[in-house]
This record gives sequence, C-alpha cells and structure tokens, in this order.
Amino acid sequence: MGSFRKQGEPQVWGTAAALSITLLMVLTLLGVVMVNGLGFFWPSDTSLVTLKDGSRLLGEITSTEKATENHGKRIQFKVGNRDIYGQDFRWVDASEIRSTAYPDDAVTLERKERGNFYGFLKSLSLDRLRIPAGGTTWDDFLAARKSVDASRAKLRKSEKRMADLNSNAERLRLKVLKLSSADPVGNRAAIDSLNAKREKLLAEFNARLERLNDESAELNSHTAIFTDASGEEKEIPLTEIVRSYRPNTMGVFAKARFYAGKIRELLLDEPRESNTEGGLFPAIFGTVMMVLLMSVFSLPFGVVAAVYLREYAREGILVRLVRIAVNNLAGVPSIVYGVFGLGFFVYGIGSGIDQLFYPERLPTPTFGTGGILWASLTLALLTVPVVIVSTEEGLASVPKGLREGSLSLGATKFQTLTKVVIPMATPGIMTGLILAMARAAGEVAPLMIVGVVKLAPSLPIDGHFPFFHMDRKFMHLGFHIYDVGFQSPNVEAAKPMVFVTTLLLLAIVIAASSTAIHIRNKMKQKYTTKAF
Amino acid sequence: MLFRKNDKNTTVSDGKFLARARKNDRLAAWLINTGGFLVILSVTSILVLIMKVAIPLFLSPEATVVSTIKPGGSAPTGEIKGMGVDDELRTGFLLDASGTVTFFDRRTGREIHKITITPPGGGSPTIASASDSGGGRFDILWDDGSFTAMKVSFRSQETGGSDQPAIPAVETMLEEKGTGGGPRPLLSVARFADENSPLRVDLLPGNRFSLSKTTATSDLAGNETVRKVRTPFGDEVPGNVTAVALDTEGEYLYAGTDTGRLLRYDLTDPEAPRLLDSVEANTNGHAVTAVNLVLGDNSVAVADADGSLSTWFPVSETGLGSGKTLTRIHSLARHDGAVTVILPASRSKTIYSLDKAGVVSADHMTSERRLLEMRTAKPLVRFAVSGGDNGAIALDADGNITFWHIDNPHPEVSLKTLFAPVWYESYDKPAYVWQSSAASDDFEPKLSLTPLIFGTLKGTVYAMIFAVPLALLGAIYTSQFMGARLKKYVKPAIEIMAAIPSVVIGFLAGLWLAPLLDKAIVSFFLAFAVIPLCVMLSILIWRRIGSLPRLKRVAPGCEFLLLVPALLIGVYVSHALGGILEASLFAGDLKLWLFNTTGVRSDQRNSIIIAFALGLAVIPLIFTIAEDALSNVPKNLSAASLAIGASRWQTAWRVVLPSALPGIFSAIMIGFGRAVGETMIVLMATGNTPILDWSIFNGFRSLSANIAVEIPEAPVFGTLYRILFLSAVLLFVFTFIINTAAEVLRQKFRKKYGRF
Repeated sequence: MGSFRKQGEPQVWGTAAALSITLLMVLTLLGVVMVNGLGFFWPSDTSLVTLKDGSRLLGEITSTEKATENHGKRIQFKVGNRDIYGQDFRWVDASEIRSTAYPDDAVTLERKERGNFYGFLKSLSLDRLRIPAGGTTWDDFLAARKSVDASRAKLRKSEKRMADLNSNAERLRLKVLKLSSADPVGNRAAIDSLNAKREKLLAEFNARLERLNDESAELNSHTAIFTDASGEEKEIPLTEIVRSYRPNTMGVFAKARFYAGKIRELLLDEPRESNTEGGLFPAIFGTVMMVLLMSVFSLPFGVVAAVYLREYAREGILVRLVRIAVNNLAGVPSIVYGVFGLGFFVYGIGSGIDQLFYPERLPTPTFGTGGILWASLTLALLTVPVVIVSTEEGLASVPKGLREGSLSLGATKFQTLTKVVIPMATPGIMTGLILAMARAAGEVAPLMIVGVVKLAPSLPIDGHFPFFHMDRKFMHLGFHIYDVGFQSPNVEAAKPMVFVTTLLLLAIVIAASSTAIHIRNKMKQKYTTKAF
Repeated sequence: MLFRKNDKNTTVSDGKFLARARKNDRLAAWLINTGGFLVILSVTSILVLIMKVAIPLFLSPEATVVSTIKPGGSAPTGEIKGMGVDDELRTGFLLDASGTVTFFDRRTGREIHKITITPPGGGSPTIASASDSGGGRFDILWDDGSFTAMKVSFRSQETGGSDQPAIPAVETMLEEKGTGGGPRPLLSVARFADENSPLRVDLLPGNRFSLSKTTATSDLAGNETVRKVRTPFGDEVPGNVTAVALDTEGEYLYAGTDTGRLLRYDLTDPEAPRLLDSVEANTNGHAVTAVNLVLGDNSVAVADADGSLSTWFPVSETGLGSGKTLTRIHSLARHDGAVTVILPASRSKTIYSLDKAGVVSADHMTSERRLLEMRTAKPLVRFAVSGGDNGAIALDADGNITFWHIDNPHPEVSLKTLFAPVWYESYDKPAYVWQSSAASDDFEPKLSLTPLIFGTLKGTVYAMIFAVPLALLGAIYTSQFMGARLKKYVKPAIEIMAAIPSVVIGFLAGLWLAPLLDKAIVSFFLAFAVIPLCVMLSILIWRRIGSLPRLKRVAPGCEFLLLVPALLIGVYVSHALGGILEASLFAGDLKLWLFNTTGVRSDQRNSIIIAFALGLAVIPLIFTIAEDALSNVPKNLSAASLAIGASRWQTAWRVVLPSALPGIFSAIMIGFGRAVGETMIVLMATGNTPILDWSIFNGFRSLSANIAVEIPEAPVFGTLYRILFLSAVLLFVFTFIINTAAEVLRQKFRKKYGRF
C-alpha cells in the first residue's frame, strides 16, 4: 500500500477520473439530444384513461415522475386539443386512474394550427365531394382527405402563379419609382406604359384571387366531426388536417413508415405554428447557403493570406506580429464580429449601396439592413483565421526538399506553388475549410445581429429575377434552436422540435468536423517524420 | 511533367514561355503580397472600425455660432422680457415689455411677423414679469396685476416644401384679470396638467405665496360649474424668496431664499399646500439665485450667488420610515459669478445656466460633465433653448442676438457614468446600474458597464473553476498515462467536442439541465463528496484485484474506463441520498430553506448551470492545447526520469509538467479568453439580470449577452448603440491582451523545444 501511494498511483487514477468525468458529460449531452430528438417522431400509442371521478382523457403519455405529496407516481399526458382545453399537457396522479385502455378507433390529427387533436371520428359532412362509396366512416374519411389534398395541391399551383404576378407587379412598381425619382417629366411615356402593364398584372392577380377564394371556401366546407374523450363534438375542416392516423392500430412497420414520412417532412417542408411544428427546410437551406457563401469569401482570402505568410513574406518581426494577430483573431469573441458586421457591412457599406443604387426605395432599406450577404461576410471574417492557421499547417508540412527540387528544375516560385506545394497542402486547406464551415454552421451570436430572422417569408434563391437575393434575411438552424426554445410562447410544446433541430445541427457539425480531423490526422501521419 | 507544354514546342517559343512564366510569377508574387497584406490589414482594422463608432461617446459637444444679428428698423421697444427659437433654428422671437412678440429671420435679422398680446384687463399696461416655462410657454404678469399664460408655436407650412420657414403663432392659454384688492404679485406661474383646471401660483410681496386652481366640471345636462380655490400659504419662509420653480404637473413648488435655503411645497391638495422640506442649499449661506426643474420633474437644479450649481431630489432617510428629504445629489461645475437663469433641456437631463458674467453653460446632471460654454464679445443677458435640444439663442448687453447650433448627442456618457457608481434619480444611494431604456422619454438612462463586466468575470471565473482542473488533469492523463491505442480515439473525441455549437450547449443547459438541477440541488452538492468517495473506493478495489495475474495488464493505460462504473454509481448514490437529505434537513425544499434562513434568492438559471455549460465549452480548448504542450515535451526527458527509477506519476509531475508549464498557462489563458466572449451559452442559461452579486444561486448578465440582447433595439448611432460598440471594444481588447500573452508564452515554449 505504501509504495502504491508513494509512487503516486492514486494521483494517476485521479487524473483518469477527470478525463472520465469529461467524457461522460459529453456522452450525456449527446445521449440526451439523441434520445429526445430521435424519439419525438415515433408515434406513441394513445391511451384512454378513466379517472376515479368518472372523467376520461385521451392522450399520449409523455413522462412519469415521483409525486411530491404522496408516494405514488405522476403521469404527464399530452392531451392536445389546445382549442378546447387551453393547454396541451395534463398531469395526473397514478392513484387517481381507474382504468387505462388503448382503443383502436382513437384518432390523432396533426392540424395546421392549434397543435394535435386526439379524439374519435364520428361523422363526415362532405357536400358535392365525390368519393368511392361504401366502406367504413374511417375509409371514407381517408378517401375524402385524399381528394381534398389533391385539390389543395392544385390551388397551391395557382397561389404560386399569383405570387409570381405579385412579384412582377412589385418589380414594375419599383421601376416606376426609380424612373420618376430620376426624371418624372422626361420618363413620362415609359412610366405610363409601365403603369399600364402593372395594372394589367394586378387585374389578373385580383381575378385569380377571387377564384381562389371561392375554391378554397368550397374546400373548407368539407368537414369531419370528431368527439374528444369526454364526448364533446368538434368540427374540423379537412383542409386543416395535415396528418391523420390511428396509432393504436399501427404495427411496427406502419410506425416506421410514419417515422420516415415525418423525417421527410422535417427536411423538406416549411415550418408551421411559429416554427414549433412542420419542417425545417428554410432553416436548413438558409444555413447551407450561408455556409457556402461564406466559404466563397473565406477560402480564397484565407489561402492567399496563408501563402503570403508562409511562402512570400520574409520572416521577421512583422510576420511574427501578423501571426500573433491572426491567432488572436481566432480568439476574438464572435459577438464582436457581429457588432463589426453591423457597423461596417450593414450600416457602412449596405447604406452606401442603398444610396447609390436603390435611392427610390429609401427609407426602406435594401442592403442597409441585415441579410444573407452580410451574414456570410461577417462569418467569413470570423473563419478566415481558421483557414489561415490550417492552410499554414498544410503548407508547413510540405517537405522543403520538394520545393527545392521543383525550383532547381527551373520552375518559378509561382509554378512551384501551384503545381507542387498547393496540391500537397490540399488536405490542410480542406481541413481548414471544413472546420470553418462547421464553425459557421454552429455560430449564432453574430448572425442574430446581421440578418437571421425567426421566419423568413422567402428563400434567398427563387425563380424571380435576379434569382439570388443577397439582401434577403434568412433562417438558420442554430438561431431556430434559440428562438423556438427561448422565445416561443409555449416552450413546453416546442421543446421536442428544438431537440430535433439540435440533433440535426449537431449531426451536421460533428460529421463535418470529424471529417476534418480525420483528414488532418491522415495528413500528419503522411508528412511528419517522427523525431523520437 | 511541369514543362510538358514546353516539350512539344521548339526552342524558339521556349524563351517566350519562360518570359511568360516569369511574368506570371512576378504578377502572382505581387498579387499574393498585396492580397495577403490586405487580408491582414482588413482583419486587424476591425478594432479600428468598431472603435470609430464608440469614440464619439467621449467627444466634447459642440456649439457653433450660426449667426449673429442685430434686429434693425422695427426693433422691439423697451426691455426684452422673453425670447425663443424654433426647432429648425430658422426663426427667433423676442417678447418685449409692451407684450409684443417679434419674429425675425435667423439669417437676415429681418422681421417676419409681429403679434401683440392684448392684456386681459385692457388699457396698455407693461409686463412686470415673464417666466419661461419651457416649450415656448411664457407666464406673463402685467403691471396692472392681470395675468396671461401664452404659448408661442411654429406650424410648418403644408405647401412649398421643407425650405419654407414655419408660420409662427401665439396662443393664449389662460387670462385672468387682476383681483383688484390685495398687493400685485411679483411673479406668477401657471400649469396646465389638467386641461380643464389650470393652476396658478403667485409670489406675493412679503414672501408669501398664493395658489389658485380653477376646476371646471360639467354635469350630465352640460351645465358647466366653475369652482375656484384660492389659498395663501408660506408663513414659514425663512428670508426673502429669490427664486421659484414649479413642476409641469403643478404638484411641487420649489423656492430658494436669500439666506441660502431651499424649500419644497406639496401642492397636490390645492386647499392645503404643505411645506415638505426646508434645507440649506449651501453651507455658507449664499443666496439661492436660480431654481428650475430638470427634465422628468424628479430633480431640481439649484444655483447660488457663489456660482455653484447642483441638483437635488428627495431621498428617503434611512431609519426614518418613508419620509423623504431633499438631498444634494450632483454638484456640477461652478460658475464664475452668480447664476441668474437655469433652463432645462427638453430631450435630456442637460441643464443650461447663465451667470452674471454673461456666459451660458451646459451641464449634464447624471454625468456631471460641463458640456459646453457659450459666450460672445459682450456679456449675455438672456437666453433660450430650442425644443429639439439642438440650438440656443441669446441676447447680449448690446442688443445683439446670437444663434448657436448645438451638437450634443451623448451628454449622459462619461467615464464616471460608465464605470463608477452614480446616484440615479429615485435611488437611495449611488449604485452601479445597467438599465438602458424605459417606457418614458424623460427616463434617466443608467449605463454603468460595471455590472456587465462583473457578470462577465463572474461567469468566466466559475466556468474556469469547473473547467481548468478537469481539462488539465484529463490532459495530463491522456498525454502521460493513456495507452496509445485508446489515445487515438480519445483525442479526436475531445476535439470534436470543441465543435459542438455553443447554442446547443446553451439550449441543453437552459432547458434540460436547469430544471433538472433545480430539483436536485442537494444531490448536486452531495456529489462533490460522494463521487470522490466512490472513485477512491474503486481505486482501492483495483489495488486489491489489480495484482491478480489475469487483471495485471488491464489497468495501466485505461484507468479512465475502469472508473466509469464508479462515477455512475456515485451519481446514482448522490441522487438517491439527495432526496432523502433534502426531505430531512431542509424541509423538502432547499431553495425555500435558503431563502428563509439566509435570504439568498435562487434562480433556476444560475451560476452553477453556467459553470457547467461554459465549462463544457472551454474544456476541449484547454485540453487540446495543454495536451499538445505536454506531449511535445521531449521524450528523452521523461525517458531519463523513468530510467533513474522515478515512477510514472513522479515523472509526469516533476519532470514533464514543469517543462510544459508555459504551454499550460497559455491553454488556460486561451480558455479564459473564450469564456469571456461566449455569448449564446450565457444568453440562454442565465436570467440575464445585471446584478452585482457573487452568489452561485443567481444569474448575471455578461457584456457579450448584453450586446446580443440590446443591439437589435438600439437606434443606430444613438448613445446605447455606441455604448454597445464600446463593450465590443472592451471585449476585443480584453481577449486580445489575453491571447497575445498566451501566444507569446506558446512561442517561447516552442523556441525552448525547437518544434511545435
């Protein structure tokens, strides 16, 4: 025992404990995100609970905890039906429950608004909607929904056409504004013809709007009547229903199919209910586009700076200072970059652009407000040090002999650089780029200042001229987490969605950075000669 | 391969090719040099640019003379009793003793308009006194004892564009004939807090006041009944009243006397005005020469014959219940002579004052800054300030009128208001407060950065207390004792941990860990005892069974895996024990118990959560750098140590660690720098309340989170906006210093061992 202590073995075990604690914490973090994020979409059974006082409730069991007063358990149900009960969740003491059943005909509806509905299908009210006759009410319901969905898809096409018309009209309006602010008298003829064109577009828009309103009113008249656990009736238009299913009748495969459908919705659809339901497509799109745009700025600048530092600048006090500065900038808080982006890009350059090119739209800012371009530039600035450091490492790992060989064969410095050094340093550059992208994807604080919004009306790329709208605000996965988790009115109901977003963001970032680390380690093995 | 193209060509084009290659090379060299230099330049200019936004905070305000005129021809006759200027500084006006308001153009001095006020009593009396109530309002007392309250306003012209000067107008708000009996008042002031019931206060000869309030009520039938109350008061005035001020609501009357006393009356009950305070305005009995209220009506500015200027407001006396006494709060810069007039600014807590020497000064109440002084060749005798706080007009002894344009964007900021305790209105003592905005316009902004800097340091310190031991010990273990095979997985794992976005950590800390820890706070503290105990027990067990032949080769190199069960058991045991302990010792609720016994309030999102979350964010950074430093200590050092019989711990502790110390310090510093600037975690996992309190049960607000919270609402180029830029500068400078120190240390360390 004495020698064990004297040799310091307990201390070694102590350091080991520190490492275990760290690793356990990370695993816990990942585990919590995984369990909560992955489990959310799996349809859980709906239980019909009869309480001792005779009342009944229908819902999914979401959690169980020890009751504080007595020694029993407390069960949390998600009872949905926000429009009837006022809140989505209900706590029930286990001791109050008389019986629990899992009826096959319990229906779960996902609605466009007001969250889930749990209840039983009672009857349908479908005037003038032709559906194949026969079958149970449920079959009829499904058939009716199919037909309504098909009509709705048609309407959506019409809506899209209307959006086109509207954006064209808006463009004409801005053109007129520009012309009349420049020279209202000289451009009289042009202005008049533009105005006439615009009137025509607006007339078509209004005609379509009227038709659309009629058609959607007719669609909305198809309803289904449901009853909740206590028997209260609720009439729900079929157009309001996003998804309807009877979880208690579903087998594992049906549930898996359902799960896959939810994932598809998550990745490809628009958000609903102030981002707490539906998909994440605009946020994913915004994040990806912002990161790509950032790479376009940050990669060339970072590489050029690194090449300058490593290959062209003469070693000396200046280069040493510059290197300290670059390393330092990697440590400057990201919010400072955000503040800089706001002061320099948005209010500096952006306002300048507005005054030069879009004076007719003022005081409504075009580039003089946060947008995807400024966000990308700000993040490019933030990630340039990452690219520089990593590229430098890559350049440093290219053996001197190769450079000298190339130069001795008569190649110029630039040829050596492009044909020998850079290709060999590519892994280093790639590492830098990937690390920069991972950093940019996860960074939120500066974006909050320079252009991220909770709900962007349109994507930065669309079918309207000029296709890339660099001035538009955008959505971002990281900000989505902050916004939905901390700013939404119903945090408890929003939490699962935040976990899903977190999981997605974490997966992207971890996949990117593990690739980068893998490439770097490969590179290290390839070029470093072990000194000892 | 490089010259494949060259191989195919003849020697004639060889020279051309080489020339082109050389040209390309030179061009590229130039491009890369300038490009590289530009990148460095632009990246380092960040600081300069954010500083550029922050610096105007500290620039002195400027008053520039825009024109000096001498009204010619139809110059007002008699003594000038009042003056003013419109918000655009285009038109000035003078009120002379005959009751004529003359408007004239600022640039030419030409008369534009002339309006004569008819005295209510008829005849042609002259003005005995006119007091400037701000916003173009004048309360005129005629020498026949009648009274007129009037307002000069400027209506912008609807046609003709913005170049046209505004049309002046004079509106009479209250007219009262002299009472006939009784002496003529010396001074009268009216207030219109309620449109139907104007309130008028007169200063009568013999140092008495008289309050009259007219209340017009209409019953259901539409019959108006007018009730008039008239109350004399002020028997107890010590000395002669020399200055009077009434607040906009007409609730409090302030008066100064020639014996240097300051009085405050409560007029809320018009039938029974009460003397609330009678305090000494200065210690040496100088007469009070001017009194006026500061914007917001909370503070009163007082000046005396000695030239001293101060602001006062009622403060509750400690130990005397709810009684409040008028207290001297801010002493502003002194004047050379007695102050004759004090006028408040209408958009900030700036006070303009004119002294006997003829100089107008502007002082800010909160920052106690002397903002500017306005003087002309001849002493000034009368002045007025524009409603937009952007200009002033003054009359000198020779009858010349001077217009100033005043550029005073950030009067409330000084180093003192940013960093030192300031006595804000309605506070009982000087304090460090951050409260940047409120519902009302006359709010006194409280812009102390001290609580934010404190919050930043608090979070960082707690995070470092948590992170540094774990990261460093983990790094020592990984670099010195861990098996190479495991190390290949553990190191990248920690590096990937560094990539976890802070918003994810913040979210989990705020919405998952905080409620969890809220319920299990006792277990948390218990874990500090239970987990080490479990670890020790487990070490002992391994000491016993580790010598068994089959297990002998297991332990070295993967101790950390063997400890995982011990840690899990520790967590479970402390959780189980925590519930029991809380029920038996703290009556089932530690938070309540803490509040009842020690008065410590505890928030759900407190500093413990931050320590965890921020710690988790900096651990990988510290770990990676420290591990690198430890691994880069030449192996021959440790090999020599081991060879002469030192144990692996002794080698690590006495040989490797001291050599790697600079690298480890640099790791800690870089971790510190990261924690200081972290935004999202702090934003999401604390309550963001800017308080000065080291308690681990409260949250705080950090500089970075403050920027994120406030900058979307800050008006561009306003004071708050610039202060937020200033906090960004502070963050930048702070992290820059720390990182530079770390970098220098690291370079030293590299030099020592010749590689990195």
